[in-house]
Amino acid sequence: MIPPTVAAPPRFTVSRRRLRLLGLTADDGIRWFFGGNALIAVIVLTLITLFLFREGAGFFGQNRSNLEIYRRAGLEYVDFIRAQTDDHTALTRYLSDLRVRWMTWLLEQERHSLEEANARLEDFDRFADRFAGAVDPLRELMSGLADHASGIKAKYQLTQDRRVEQAQLAAAGRTAEAAGIEISAIDFERELEPLRESLPTYRQLSRDLAGELTALLAEAPAPPTPALRQRMDRFAELTREYVAGFPAVEHRLETWDSAQPVPAHRAFTSFLFGRQWLTASSWQDWYGIVPLFVGSLLVAALALLLAVPLGVGAAIYVSQLASSREQRLIKPCIEFISAIPSVVLGFFGIVILGETLRQLSQVSWLSWLPGFPYSERLNILTAGSLLALVAVPTIFTLAEDALNNVPRGFKEASLALGASQLQTVLKIIVPASLSGIVSAVLLGFGRVIGETMIVLLCAGNRIEIPDFTRGVAVVTEPVHTMTGIIAQEMGEVVRDSIHYRALFMVGLVLFLLALVINYAAQKIMRRYRLSTG
Amino acid sequence: MVIADPPLMDSSAPELAGTPPPPAPAERSVVAQIEHLDFFYGTTQALKDVTLDLESRKVTAFIGPSGCGKSTLLRCLNRMNDLIEGARVAGGTVRIHGTNIYDRTVDVIEVRKRVGMVFQKSNPFPKSIYENITYGLRLHGRRDKSRLDAIVEQALRGAALWDEVKDRLHQSGLGLSGGQQQRLCIARAIAVEPEIILMDEPCSALDPVATAKIEELIQELRARFTIVIVTHNMQQAARVSDRTAFFYLGSLVEYADTRDIFTNPAKPQTEAYVSGRFG
Ligand SMILES: Nc1ncnc2c1ncn2[C@@H]1O[C@H](COP(=O)(O)OP(=O)(O)OP(=O)(O)O)[C@@H](O)[C@H]1O
Ligand SMILES: [Mg+2]
Repeated sequence: MIPPTVAAPPRFTVSRRRLRLLGLTADDGIRWFFGGNALIAVIVLTLITLFLFREGAGFFGQNRSNLEIYRRAGLEYVDFIRAQTDDHTALTRYLSDLRVRWMTWLLEQERHSLEEANARLEDFDRFADRFAGAVDPLRELMSGLADHASGIKAKYQLTQDRRVEQAQLAAAGRTAEAAGIEISAIDFERELEPLRESLPTYRQLSRDLAGELTALLAEAPAPPTPALRQRMDRFAELTREYVAGFPAVEHRLETWDSAQPVPAHRAFTSFLFGRQWLTASSWQDWYGIVPLFVGSLLVAALALLLAVPLGVGAAIYVSQLASSREQRLIKPCIEFISAIPSVVLGFFGIVILGETLRQLSQVSWLSWLPGFPYSERLNILTAGSLLALVAVPTIFTLAEDALNNVPRGFKEASLALGASQLQTVLKIIVPASLSGIVSAVLLGFGRVIGETMIVLLCAGNRIEIPDFTRGVAVVTEPVHTMTGIIAQEMGEVVRDSIHYRALFMVGLVLFLLALVINYAAQKIMRRYRLSTG
Repeated sequence: MVIADPPLMDSSAPELAGTPPPPAPAERSVVAQIEHLDFFYGTTQALKDVTLDLESRKVTAFIGPSGCGKSTLLRCLNRMNDLIEGARVAGGTVRIHGTNIYDRTVDVIEVRKRVGMVFQKSNPFPKSIYENITYGLRLHGRRDKSRLDAIVEQALRGAALWDEVKDRLHQSGLGLSGGQQQRLCIARAIAVEPEIILMDEPCSALDPVATAKIEELIQELRARFTIVIVTHNMQQAARVSDRTAFFYLGSLVEYADTRDIFTNPAKPQTEAYVSGRFG
């Protein structure tokens, strides 16, 4: 028992004088040090954002003048006709495909020799040749016009270059020299006259073509089997559709107006929804992000498809079912994957994985798999499988955290009610940590969409929207990606050129994507923290 | 009110209105027998040669200073200690209806179905009230909706929670107050109809009113279940239990009728502890 004394309570010690430097104590210094570090992170992020926006923003102006000159120099006009001849080429390809099938049938079903088969196909070949040749006059007209339009564009670019030179000289104070540069303004209307004058010729040729094709269809050879006949019918149908489209082309050419300004939003939409990324072309450059975006998305989606079951499964096993010895073995292994330099993974992908998968695809008893066999060893499948390796450690680590954060009480309560380990995991622990797992997957997605080296090395780098009509087999096609294109092209572009800015725009899209993904992941994570207390 | 007249004032086990009187027990029927139990966490011994019988439809209280092994013994009764790495029963047996639950052939899930547990910190699942209660039943394959509905109501009434939650059965169990959550956990435990219910300091996080409700509830449950409760609250032990076991440093010091422990303890240590002089 403490004796009840009435001693005065001890006083607070008066704070001692501390060492001060420039009026700051050591505590202040430490405070400032940490605060400063945090501040630097914020500043750097702001700077990056500003920089990306500044460099990217110029793109739209440039892209608009890019589209403007496409119209004013008549390239657009020529491309209307080109679209028509391209359609024709596609139909010709359909015919040659039909020939291959017919030939196969003759050789394999009818057991003809090659000469016999070729002889049997003579009629067909005559038909196909006439069909293919029918478009030649039109194509000739088109290529003449194309040369002309290119000439106008080149002239225009020359004057633009002169203007730039003049401005530079003037800025440098060499006014006399600047004045000496002569710049002749281009009279687009006069330059375009040959194009306009060709319209009657076009009309004539187009009508001739329509007539000839219709006549040709009437005498199309009839294939011997129902399957082939069906294809032939389909061909006839496609051709009729094609011919029916001629008046529309004509109308477009008639009403085309080179002076009509390109609307401002086109500069934006042609980037965001443009289906072509074509640079350093002698005809016209296009900066459409869609093929790159689709490429990135496909690769990332395939990577996640593989990585989510692996990463989440491993996380569930390690955090809930494994003995501590297994934990000590598995965790470092998975976490080590993220320490492998991605260029090494990419190299492995090219040399081993890509080649192995291709050879596997050529094994005959696997040919039932969609897309098998294929010949391009670098494609979505190769890149996606390797990217999965990159995503697994991220998903695993975060998902394991989420699972471990489920309050112990839930697990105990479930077991005490007579649930088995597995029931407890599936019915209590996974649902309780679901949002944590979802955000782990999202962050894994962010990780793979931003990965560069592997896709650059393994995705095949073909800038084209893959053929989705092939269904799942689409994964055997090569693609290019947003990250890959920046890494590949940034080194060789001229600073401040439209191409340079277009790459920045792609970077900006990536950046915004990453921002959105991280934000969503954090939002989900926070909600999860609240719900499990 | 039941809690107003503590059982130690009462010579026979108090009967509640409405519940059928049990067939007057001539001799005490034993549900579980713990014999010479030694228990280790790694190399530290937490229980030393504990021997004790649990009587059917009685409330047994475990008391003793912190760290004396009350929770450990409790968790030996439904093998919850299996979860702890390095924890092991080194000697002795725990028999429930004569079967040693630590026998190799015994299914631990079966044990836990028959021995329910309520934890110190209320831990309803992050699911609806309804799902919380049906969880255990669904695990064991009960799917019949109308039957489940009936059991939910019965369990919630049994835990004196029905009136408070009957309109929000499908809302989250985490939205209830602390005391309600604890009663939900009790309802969840009784829904699977165990024989024994273990309660580890079930009221330690609750205010006096919520505590009183749980104590009242224990009184009601006594008619149907054998209850073991760990508590640090001497009054609580005195109020709710029929038998009391006092532990000290891993050993059972004294085990007797609650009335005797509190009024006439045989051992000086017990006397010192219950009168609050140490511990
Ligand atoms: N998981 C564990 N690992 C190692 N030792 C443990 C573990 N749990 C308990 N112990 C030890 O076993 C002994 C008994 O612990 P137990 O939890 O059974 O005590 P208790 O009587 O319930 O205490 P309290 O009243 O504080 O809850 C203590 O000495 C404790 O340190
Ligand atoms: Mg305890």
